[in-house]
Amino acid sequence: MSISIPELLTNDGFITAGDREAIEQHSAASGLSYIKIALTSGYISRKNYDRSILNAGYQINEHPRDEAYDQDVLDKIDLTFAHDRLAMPLRIEDNKVVVLMTSPDDDLFIDFIRFTYDMEARIILASDLDITWLSNKLLGERYTKSAVFELMKRDPDSSAVVTFSTAQLIFIFVIIALVTIGLVLSFKNTSIIINVIISSFFLVAIIFKLFLALVGSRFELHQAVTKEELKLVVDDELPIYTILLPVYKEDKLIKKLIWNLQSIDYPRHKLDIKLLIEEDDDKTFNAVKNLDFPAIFEVIVVPFHMPKTKPKACNYGLHFARGKYLTIYDAEDIPDTDQLKKVVSLFGKLPEEYICVQSALNYFNRNENFLTRMFTLEYSYWFDYMLPGLDTLDIPIPLGGTSNHFKLDELVELGAWDPFNVTEDADLGVRAYAKGYKIAIINSTTYEEANNEPFNWIRQRSRWIKGYMQTYLVHMRDPVALWKEIGWKGFLGFNFFIGATPITFLVYPLLLTFFICYVVFDLSTIRTLFPDWVLFMSIFNLMVGNILMIYVNMIAVFKRRYYELILFAIANPIYWLMHSIAAYKGLYQLIVKPFYWEKTNHGLSKVNSPTNVVK
Amino acid sequence: MKLTSGIYLSILTLILVIYYLVCGIYLNNLGYYNHESLFYIEKAKIVFEGTGNRLKVMGLTAPMIPFYATFPFLFFKTQAPVIASAIGTAALFYIIASTVAKRLNDDGYIWLLLVIFLFHPGIIYTAASGKSIYLILIFFFLFFLNLFKFYRSNTTFHVSIASLCLVILIFCDYKFIWLTLFFLPLVLSITIHSLNLGEQESIFRLFLSFNSPSLRRKLVNKTFALYIILFSLPLAAVLCYKLLNLTHASDLNYFAESPYATWNVLIDKLSFDQISTNSKYQIPETSILLSARVVLFAPMILIAMYLFRESTYQVLTILIPFAFIEFLHIKYDKVFLAYQYYLIFLILAYLCVIFKAHTVKNHRSFKLLLAVTILFQLYFGWYYLKNSLIPEERNFIKVLTENKEDAVQQDNVDVANYLNSLPGDAHVLVDDAIAYGVVAFTTDIKPVIMPYEGNFLSALESPDKYVDYVVVATAKNIVSGYTQLNNKYIISIRHTIPDINFRKVYETDDWIVYRVITNATEGGFGHEPTIRQ
Repeated sequence: MSISIPELLTNDGFITAGDREAIEQHSAASGLSYIKIALTSGYISRKNYDRSILNAGYQINEHPRDEAYDQDVLDKIDLTFAHDRLAMPLRIEDNKVVVLMTSPDDDLFIDFIRFTYDMEARIILASDLDITWLSNKLLGERYTKSAVFELMKRDPDSSAVVTFSTAQLIFIFVIIALVTIGLVLSFKNTSIIINVIISSFFLVAIIFKLFLALVGSRFELHQAVTKEELKLVVDDELPIYTILLPVYKEDKLIKKLIWNLQSIDYPRHKLDIKLLIEEDDDKTFNAVKNLDFPAIFEVIVVPFHMPKTKPKACNYGLHFARGKYLTIYDAEDIPDTDQLKKVVSLFGKLPEEYICVQSALNYFNRNENFLTRMFTLEYSYWFDYMLPGLDTLDIPIPLGGTSNHFKLDELVELGAWDPFNVTEDADLGVRAYAKGYKIAIINSTTYEEANNEPFNWIRQRSRWIKGYMQTYLVHMRDPVALWKEIGWKGFLGFNFFIGATPITFLVYPLLLTFFICYVVFDLSTIRTLFPDWVLFMSIFNLMVGNILMIYVNMIAVFKRRYYELILFAIANPIYWLMHSIAAYKGLYQLIVKPFYWEKTNHGLSKVNSPTNVVK
Repeated sequence: MKLTSGIYLSILTLILVIYYLVCGIYLNNLGYYNHESLFYIEKAKIVFEGTGNRLKVMGLTAPMIPFYATFPFLFFKTQAPVIASAIGTAALFYIIASTVAKRLNDDGYIWLLLVIFLFHPGIIYTAASGKSIYLILIFFFLFFLNLFKFYRSNTTFHVSIASLCLVILIFCDYKFIWLTLFFLPLVLSITIHSLNLGEQESIFRLFLSFNSPSLRRKLVNKTFALYIILFSLPLAAVLCYKLLNLTHASDLNYFAESPYATWNVLIDKLSFDQISTNSKYQIPETSILLSARVVLFAPMILIAMYLFRESTYQVLTILIPFAFIEFLHIKYDKVFLAYQYYLIFLILAYLCVIFKAHTVKNHRSFKLLLAVTILFQLYFGWYYLKNSLIPEERNFIKVLTENKEDAVQQDNVDVANYLNSLPGDAHVLVDDAIAYGVVAFTTDIKPVIMPYEGNFLSALESPDKYVDYVVVATAKNIVSGYTQLNNKYIISIRHTIPDINFRKVYETDDWIVYRVITNATEGGFGHEPTIRQ
């Protein structure tokens, strides 16, 4: 068989001569095999490749996972090389090294086999996906361990592997004991003190949020990167950009994902897109395998290891990232098409200490039902007003789950994501600030799918709130050190933003019940228990707090011009009650299974999601 | 010296604080008080020293914000409202001056402002009377400032801040709730202006946007959203406040209609009496003429309108306060328009001028024009105050210029002094619906039983069991009809409880203090016009 694979594919009409040349240039520049680029950069579909290979008389092994392997043989190859070449050795048989290869004409790999094992190779052709699965499974242990334990080893104080530190446990139990003793000794005075503390905390937290939203709204017309600046970006000078796509059982979204990725305005050969699939996720794996059009991402299979969380998958994928910058998208995300270029332009303008840029998140299915409308209001307020407010005041920004763009080297230096933290993004934001780095906000949006199903919503939200609790506990192990690291503004911001959020949702239904009982049933006991000034303060907080928070949500519609959603802000008290349910679930899980990742089901929306082309 | 720098503005503000404090304390020493400040003093005393249901007094005393603003100065007792207003008025100067500094960087405008704040009788009245006018002016200024900023920047921030200012303004003077009414057409006008249309004329823009379905939808949605952002906060706040009134006082409008909750119920009724009994018709307070009076009071508003002439909706914005006062005149037709509703134009005019002064080519002539206008305003400020239809305002200028002791509150002070001289355990029944002036001057209010306390009604029914003294309004007291504790009370209670008797122990023109005695202990309905102790 003398014909080479590039030639074969060109002859079969699957790849044009121009494409072939582009792939070869890309291959020479990156060190990746020809077939890897062809299959993962959108030149040819896997099905067409298989067709060509079979027509040329090759046999493809459909079950390479059943092949025997020898650990000694495997030990001599590094996973990254196997990845780059889409090939791996398995065992020695008949004085030959049995190797799995996607492309039988990869001379570099065959030479590697000859030099390493001093034997000839016996090639078994297999699908690139099967080879990827097998290579990660068999060679990925070192990387997996690193993904899970790296941060814990390097910076144990920042790892959420320990949920409550001993000092925190002592503190919590001392507080409980003091409150109990206080209630026994003087029920009235202790209740008053608790009430006053909670009321003051609520009021300060709400006023702080209002203040942030107002500061954010002041700069709503500010553009971090203008159209003119974007025009100055030269394609040839753009760096390699890694996109991590951690997915789990997202088989329904794969086609949509490819469509969205293809719309990104960035040179194809400078994109390093990695789809991170869990080892046991056959659904997504098969969905990718069955694609009948070219994929523009590389698949990385994350070997099984507890905890099975998104940050662990991302850490694993980080080992193979080639970009200067890196971002994460969810499978259903629709980023503004010019987002990557904008980020590159912004990084170019910002001082060195800025290591991350957060894009705004919003929802494409906002008008689907009540929940999606409320979610959109919340996100609009969060990303369009709160985060810019935090940014302006130089307070740590809890990153959003996706569309945060990092400088790769600094991300690795920080220890990447904490696999034991279920809101690894928020944690990373605070950790970055604590280490003296900064985060910027950019005027670009990624549209996601808003959760449209209440139970699914509560699952997702319980994870977020649990993660906030984890993040708060991690960074408050040594409050004095945190104060010194992020300054008083950062410290207060962290407490009222990350710390206050779960507490507010936990306390909210209790206070609301008290108030309703007080008003509806005219509970005279409450009057006798609390002096007038405490009751006044509580009623004032309840009224002012609720009105202000609703109002802040109303402001949110302006920047996006979602005027039709404005009245839905009134329903926020109901929405907050849903938060409270999620908060209690999160608290329960924090105690019994802190690392459990509550999976959010995506793809439930029936709303069509057009690509968000920025003109 | 550059006055526009922050440090010099702070020094000027400090000087103004001292100036206003000297004026205020001087007037206080001459015995000048007004109903509003006495009301705040009395209610604050209840909040901090009282023993009954203080929650209601704390939460439902209106206007709420000026009442709370006196709290930090209660150490100075009856001078607390004056100190608050002096500092507040100086703060108003600082706010306006810093706006000037940010926009114009020209000392001339600060000097002009300083002239107004030093010599305008209305501003001195604001600062030295202890009334809430200073808060009204501050938040009125901030409200319009943010509206104008919104016109320029089109950011939610300014419209939200404007809305917050409106909320505070309403809680400084509830009548400003009617301002929202006149913003309804204005908001539509703002939205039409903000639509991205080629046509420039407002009427044609309206025509275009009504005839295109997508533009129409956009117009309706945006107008509605702007309404919500601007008015939802004030309306929701008022609604909640009314609900609190309902739950705590069983009356939605308790804060506005009960003499226990607000001072102006009684004053408005007095004004009504004055109008209905006055044979001479008050010509100046008629519709349209009222606006003319305003223009005479603050002619600078005409210059402001001229400066804004190119933008219809911005001129409309300036016209809104005119519509507002005309409306007040119709809605509260039995009440004279208080001085603060004129003063808002003084502030608005200056705001508009500083907002548009950069468009003027010849600043020298412009400042000269402003100076002449200000001199004109100073004169009319004095004239309007001197000839005010509200006695309290006339009284202020009288005390200020004639340097004579003010005897208006003397009766209250005398009765309070008498109560202060009673033994500490002697309980006194007082109805602070009208007698808040007396309570304000009382040093210890613990022995005083007032309506906010649970046992007031019992004490009213059986004074012999609860109190030792009763303060009763005389028939001469012009507000004696608004309390149960008037001369009829003595007769009726003697009729109800035959064993009870009252001995007159102290008497002034407006008040009589009776000692409660029972026939079992002392005989006869005596008359003891001197202090017994």
